[in-house]
Amino acid sequence: MAGLQGNGIQRRTVLKAGVAVGALQIAAPYIVKAQGEQSLKIGVDNPLTGIYTALGTNENTGMQLAAEQANAKGGILGRKIELVIEDSTSDKADVAVQKARKLIQSDKVDFLIGNVNSSMAIAISQVAGELKTPHIVPGGHADVITGTSCQWTSFRVCNTGAMQGNAMAKPLVGIGKKIYIIAQDYAFGHSLADGLTKGAQAAGGTIIGTDFFPLGTTDYSATLIKARGANPDVLVDLAAGDDGINSLKQAVQFGIDKQVHLAGMQQELEVLEGLPPEARVGTWLFEWYWNQPSSVPGVADFVAAIRKKTNKVPTARTWFGYAALWSFVLAANNAKSIEGVKVCHALEGLKLPPEVACQPGEPFYRAEDHQLVPAVFVGHAQAKGASDPEDLFVVDQVEQGSTFMPPTSQTNCKLNYPT
Amino acid sequence: MTQVVLFNVLNGLIVGAFYALMALGLSLILNLSGVINFAHGGFLALGAYLAYSMAPYLGFWGGLVIAPFLTAFLGILVERVLIRRLYGRDPLYSLLLTFGFALIFQDVFKYVWGASSVPYQIPGWLGSPLSTSLFFLTGYRVFMVLIVALAVGALFLILGYTRLGIRIRAGTLDLDTVSVLGVNVRVLRNLNFGLGIYLAGLAGVLAAGLLGLSPTIGDQLIMPSFVAIIVGGLGSLPGTLAGGLLIGVAAGLTAVYFPTAQEAVIYVMMALVLLVRPHGLFGDAGRH
Repeated sequence: MAGLQGNGIQRRTVLKAGVAVGALQIAAPYIVKAQGEQSLKIGVDNPLTGIYTALGTNENTGMQLAAEQANAKGGILGRKIELVIEDSTSDKADVAVQKARKLIQSDKVDFLIGNVNSSMAIAISQVAGELKTPHIVPGGHADVITGTSCQWTSFRVCNTGAMQGNAMAKPLVGIGKKIYIIAQDYAFGHSLADGLTKGAQAAGGTIIGTDFFPLGTTDYSATLIKARGANPDVLVDLAAGDDGINSLKQAVQFGIDKQVHLAGMQQELEVLEGLPPEARVGTWLFEWYWNQPSSVPGVADFVAAIRKKTNKVPTARTWFGYAALWSFVLAANNAKSIEGVKVCHALEGLKLPPEVACQPGEPFYRAEDHQLVPAVFVGHAQAKGASDPEDLFVVDQVEQGSTFMPPTSQTNCKLNYPT
Repeated sequence: MTQVVLFNVLNGLIVGAFYALMALGLSLILNLSGVINFAHGGFLALGAYLAYSMAPYLGFWGGLVIAPFLTAFLGILVERVLIRRLYGRDPLYSLLLTFGFALIFQDVFKYVWGASSVPYQIPGWLGSPLSTSLFFLTGYRVFMVLIVALAVGALFLILGYTRLGIRIRAGTLDLDTVSVLGVNVRVLRNLNFGLGIYLAGLAGVLAAGLLGLSPTIGDQLIMPSFVAIIVGGLGSLPGTLAGGLLIGVAAGLTAVYFPTAQEAVIYVMMALVLLVRPHGLFGDAGRH
């Protein structure tokens, strides 16, 4: 009896152990996999609802394409990239910050990307700085993100107000010396207005008035009545997104474009597409445009890949997201590490290769303030493209970053790397 | 300076008329059924999107006529299937339902028409100023005021002289007695809801001519409607009409002196009214 029991216990123990190991295989397969096969998570904290939905969604599309392409080439240090996407909302900073914390602390992402809304980009860059996570802002434009609010962890792809002010000053003053500015009353609007004011004055123009209206204004009569009353040569409309559409639509309905030259700085394809054809007028700056001469490498492939994915051409936003994600891939692979300080040092001075840059020249991240130094495209809107219904902008000239970057002494960024 | 003030007051009346149209639809539904329709903005956007989709086949005018009816039809369906079940309960339930509907609407619009704005066009001769000095008086804005006046006029005629209208007004005062007198209250509420949604759909088509048509177009416009109802007085349709015009003019005047406060001023007005005369300027004292 004792022997039988002994055998039974032994066999049962073995059986139980076997079942336990088998269950463990199903329940916790990570034990079987090597660390290197685990995916590398990159967090995305961008608007998927609210007024910036289209912009955020387009940026995310660019990131997704970049992740797919990078994964086909081995990902980051042999690990597949996995995008963890959260909706920051378009205007609730507390949600954006909470999502950023969740991504870093709970989802354990190694890198963070976001936000379209400048104020929210500043807020999440502070979270990233606190939690020592490399962070790239694809499309938040307020100057302070790579200025007084800069963090050693944060980099930015899109332009600042100062960059655009310098780039657009001569073209705008060339149209007319008396300039009237209307802009949205928040960080982004003020940033652009300040940038243009300084740039235009340096170029010999005069800002005869600046008017700020609340974000989300639906009726622009009051603003436009006042602007028209000041009799400018050039009416500069710095509104972005839906506000840009509404203000331009109404300006053209008022016939203002026939009396005064309508212009602005950054304009986006999303806005031109949302306008009726007769309202697609004015002189603008595009931070990136899809219809470039075939001599520029990388563009055709990028445009084709996005067209295949979405049936639409890429916008500047798509390119921001694409460049942001690829920047992380290149930096981490160059640094042979995903550790925060090493990746950030690798991003400093990183030159985007032609298939990522998709523009003339070699954009790179400036080491002093982590700002990308790109080219910009100055031109005018057109109601309808001759060859393509999505070709709504005609590029008159391409300006290289070296001609319009403000000196680092002006941006006042102090990077405090951990010692 | 007086010219600027005059321009802005005039323009304020135009915008106010639009707010009044939206607020009237909301008020109709609120008065009879006690439902705070948070999805009103969603129905507004639906009217606009339907007009946009029909435009290639029926043109701007076809869309203007038919889209509000289609929207009202959907409203009637929603009331019949969903909202009707919540009448006996705490008003919070219907509020949550309509709020949820507003979110569903947004995602449906994103899915069907895309997250970006779509280019809704109005006829060229409407979208231009009537005179060079009064340049902000575009044909379209005057047209909008005319349509609003027609719609409001028709609404008050319906309410005053048709059986449906009289029953709605009676129901607003005492629904139980109306029911006891043999009126089918379910159908009454249903049609009333449809009427309110018709006005929302019409407001949507009109709005799309002025604003970019994006999934959030309703959200931007819904808050002034609530404020108009509170300022004008709950339970009073003429009050709602006056409330809409009043906040439009207030926003216009504020835009002259404090442009950054032109949105905030309507809430300041609402706060003042609630403090000084809580039942609104024309509302009946003692109503909830």
